[in-house]
Amino acid sequence: MRRTILALAAALLALTTLVGCSSAGSDTLRVGTEGTYSPFSFQGPDGQLTGYDVEVARAVGAKLGKEVEFVQTPWDSIFAALESQRIDLVANQVTINDERKARYDLSTPYTVSEGVIVTRADDTAIRSLADLRGRTTAQSATSNWAEVARGAGANVEAVEGFVQAVQLLKDGRIDATVNDTLAVGEYEKSTGDRGVKVAATTGDTSEQAFAARKDSGLMPDVDRALAELGADGTLAQLSEKYFGSDVSGE
Amino acid sequence: MDPATWELIGRNLWPMLKATVTMTIPLTAISFVIGLALALLLALARISSITPLTWLARVYISVIRGTPLLVQLFIVFYALPQLGLVIDPFPSAVIAFSLNVGGYAAEIIRAAILSIPKGQWEAAQTIGMGYATTLRRVILPQAARTAVPPLSNTLISLVKDTSLASTILVTELLRVAQLAAAPTFDFFALYGVAAVYYWIVCLILSSVQVRVEARLERYVAR
Repeated sequence: MRRTILALAAALLALTTLVGCSSAGSDTLRVGTEGTYSPFSFQGPDGQLTGYDVEVARAVGAKLGKEVEFVQTPWDSIFAALESQRIDLVANQVTINDERKARYDLSTPYTVSEGVIVTRADDTAIRSLADLRGRTTAQSATSNWAEVARGAGANVEAVEGFVQAVQLLKDGRIDATVNDTLAVGEYEKSTGDRGVKVAATTGDTSEQAFAARKDSGLMPDVDRALAELGADGTLAQLSEKYFGSDVSGE
Repeated sequence: MDPATWELIGRNLWPMLKATVTMTIPLTAISFVIGLALALLLALARISSITPLTWLARVYISVIRGTPLLVQLFIVFYALPQLGLVIDPFPSAVIAFSLNVGGYAAEIIRAAILSIPKGQWEAAQTIGMGYATTLRRVILPQAARTAVPPLSNTLISLVKDTSLASTILVTELLRVAQLAAAPTFDFFALYGVAAVYYWIVCLILSSVQVRVEARLERYVAR
């Protein structure tokens, strides 16, 4: 009996120590990102997290004089992580739209791009956004691409991210997937995959920004940092590095 | 919880119930029945005197018990297409869950069969019963009694494991909750409702278990 009580006490003690060490100081900036969305956020050959969004976030952190700590999160739970204070900033090509403006603090844009529709290479039926009506696409459930596809009358299968969507497309389980032209371009470049093609553009440019909790007070500093990084050419340089062209909108 | 969240829950009570009845429960039932049949064959292979058969069953059980169920699902759904075999989400899930239940339940059935005293086999043989008849009329009815509680465990686990099928496009209970929560990020509320649904299904199964146990007790000499 006494041994049981001792064991219980030890277990309790272990628990309290576990719970007691999970808060980050204010000199740390916790940044949420997928880590599976090349070229914005992915694991480099050395196993380290890298990518355009990752490097921009690092540069912003440096400007703010804060230690940047990345937290890898699937897209669909990224905003939940933000609201539950597990992260302070989302750096994952957050497209600016009215809904998100209402719910979060958004920075000034650091990427400008457009949406494209990806189909199987031998598919000639889909040549515009309108052709998605009645077709099936795969998107992250909470991404703006899901809204674009739904708006075009497509039936949307929810998936984790772009990688999974392409797999489903090639297996013939879906007809198309809508995503960022930069992500699609990177995929084609890095895999040399001839099985899928860009069939059309969605016809609208979109701007991507960092997102923080509403009234976090973080954004004025982040915006100032972004402005400085734009002015000194850092953004353009990072953009050239990852996309071969300047998409920073500066 | 604000009124909008309650309204969202209200709107999704029926779709979630429908997903439970048309997807989660059938997926569980079909997989469990196929899995049990497979498990019986595996258990008999494990205790047979034919060495290659024994090893085959051993390796199979080891692989199934030693790899994550999620990986097994992904192999059926994502890896088979690379061999030119594209199976729809629901059948894919049925295949993966059946194979999984087969591996786990095989050990339960084997233990239950071995718990029947050897004398029962011998007695059946002396009155001229063959292997199949002995199994069907003497051994299995007695082994069933021992096997019901652990098999109920497997079944109840399976009910909740079917939520993993949400990752391979099966629109079961959890996926309906996910899709409903996505626009407003009210995951907590809708997952809570899903949890309650799973719990209700498991409560019903537990009460069935009690009845089945009572029924199998009928002929036990006290």
